[in-house]
Amino acid sequence: MNPDAGGISNSLIFISALTNFLLAIGGAYMYFRWQKQRKTCEQLLQEKEVIFGFVHDVGEVFAEAEHIEPDLLLKRVLFYALRTTRAASGVIYLVDDRGDTLTARAISGVFPPLVVDANSGLDVAVSKSKHIENLVRTRIIHKGESLIGTVADLGTPVLVPDAECDPRVPRHEAEFLRIRSLVLVPMRFHQQVTGVLAVVNRVDGKFFAETDMSLLQALADQASAAVYYAGLRDSLDEKKRIDHDLSLARQIQYSLLPRELPKIEGIELAAFNQPAKEIGGDYYDVIPLDDKHIGIAIADVSGKSIGGAMLMSICRSVLRAKAPGILSPAELLRSMNHALAGDISEDMFITMLYMVFNLETRQLVVARAGHEKPLVVRADRSTEIIESSGTALGLLMDQDMFDSIIGEAEIHLKPGDLVVGFTDGITEAMNADKEEWGMDAFIDSCSLAVSEGSNSLINKIRQRIQRFVGDHPQYDDMTLLALYVTK
Amino acid sequence: MRECQIKQEVVGSVDILRLDGALDAYSFPRLEHAFNQLRDKQRNQIVLDCSNLDYINSASLGALIGFARKVREQGGDLKLAALTPKIYSIVELLGFDKMLQIFPDAQLAVSKF
Repeated sequence: MNPDAGGISNSLIFISALTNFLLAIGGAYMYFRWQKQRKTCEQLLQEKEVIFGFVHDVGEVFAEAEHIEPDLLLKRVLFYALRTTRAASGVIYLVDDRGDTLTARAISGVFPPLVVDANSGLDVAVSKSKHIENLVRTRIIHKGESLIGTVADLGTPVLVPDAECDPRVPRHEAEFLRIRSLVLVPMRFHQQVTGVLAVVNRVDGKFFAETDMSLLQALADQASAAVYYAGLRDSLDEKKRIDHDLSLARQIQYSLLPRELPKIEGIELAAFNQPAKEIGGDYYDVIPLDDKHIGIAIADVSGKSIGGAMLMSICRSVLRAKAPGILSPAELLRSMNHALAGDISEDMFITMLYMVFNLETRQLVVARAGHEKPLVVRADRSTEIIESSGTALGLLMDQDMFDSIIGEAEIHLKPGDLVVGFTDGITEAMNADKEEWGMDAFIDSCSLAVSEGSNSLINKIRQRIQRFVGDHPQYDDMTLLALYVTK
Repeated sequence: MRECQIKQEVVGSVDILRLDGALDAYSFPRLEHAFNQLRDKQRNQIVLDCSNLDYINSASLGALIGFARKVREQGGDLKLAALTPKIYSIVELLGFDKMLQIFPDAQLAVSKF
């Protein structure tokens, strides 16, 4: 998510949705938060519908983003750019492979050339808009040349409200080519300029203003990633494509994790998540259920790349929709399994640990759908693993089996006690000698750090793992979530 | 990690797939391809010999369950054999030991069809 774009306006969220689903997810996240604040029983039901609707929409956007041709994508971006700024015409230039020139890849309306060469035929063919478009398309622009090249070179936007008084803007004789007002913004991805988006002349005759420029820049920022990935599909081989899908999936995954955990009297919550190259798709969440219960979830979503990230988004929506009505963790997981199984692709599943903590009685109820068992560390540093049976969520084959196998464990926590949930990336963190960090080292670290509370414990474990693995690349996500009872 | 190599062996009506290396996002398509070929030939009694399988990612495990379901619908089965302790513990943690039959070696698995 681009932080600049987040709060600009709801209409911008709408506009970008088709070109970048991340923004859609961000918007929906804010929407759900807003919904949550004014929740009644009836609204809960509505919320459920909205969530399922959202999941469906995100699915459609995804399906489209995966298959859309780059040129069509550029056309759509341009369509929304014109609609946002009320411009009469626009163009998108993309930086060529060699990196020092730009070519016009999409044009909307009659876009007046910003570079004028001798013998261009402009004077003799003024009425032929097709000729103008051809002229713009075939004229390759070098970085630094004209306003287009300058924006590409410097990577900063340019606003020319009154273009007729600006020496950088060419003056065309023909009325329909006159440039009165102009905005150009760079398209940037991974600190590199990948193109330039330019619009000319407002349809209402007014000059473009600062807000037009910032809206256009926000749109370009959101579109750049989508355009970049769309282009990749054309040019990269399968292995590279997988890598880039993984990175896209990573961005979605990141947007689904809580920005911060709720502050709740009597307990201290802390979490740590570190993504790896090949994703397992870790997810965690903390959901206040009512005034004395909180739900704590940690999950590992299997599934390749974007499909896995989508499943995570579905998992999150289903969890958040169902959790507030169900205080039994096993019941919640059964209900999630019924919602998920059959709707998700068959090679995918989710392991999830779900715990409900009663803030008054300090009773913790735990259920586990094929996930790593949580660890309790008592104030006296003794440790125990909480055992309960269960299989992974979302597998079509064995719904009845799931329902009968899943069990619950209940433990009572006292002040100074700590519970930690984790994913296999923690205990399977690997060093250069291919040794795993291991369960024993993990339990030992938790035991040593229990008296300092959740935040400190998580930092210590993080440092220990870091020392152990050194710079060896990790193949799985690492996630830790700790609950410490303060009083 | 070594990319997974797959050797196939036919024992009567049963096909044994011997996995050697690591099954991850890059190498899984090979196994998927082998499965699909067997399916096209209506071969639905399969044993996966995992004695040299070093690593398996969770997506691959999920796909195994999905594939087992498909061959069961055709009256066949997918059985696992010779899991290393490490991979066995993952399968058990996920609860997959309750969905798939697991045998100490491929020969025994073949005899259970």
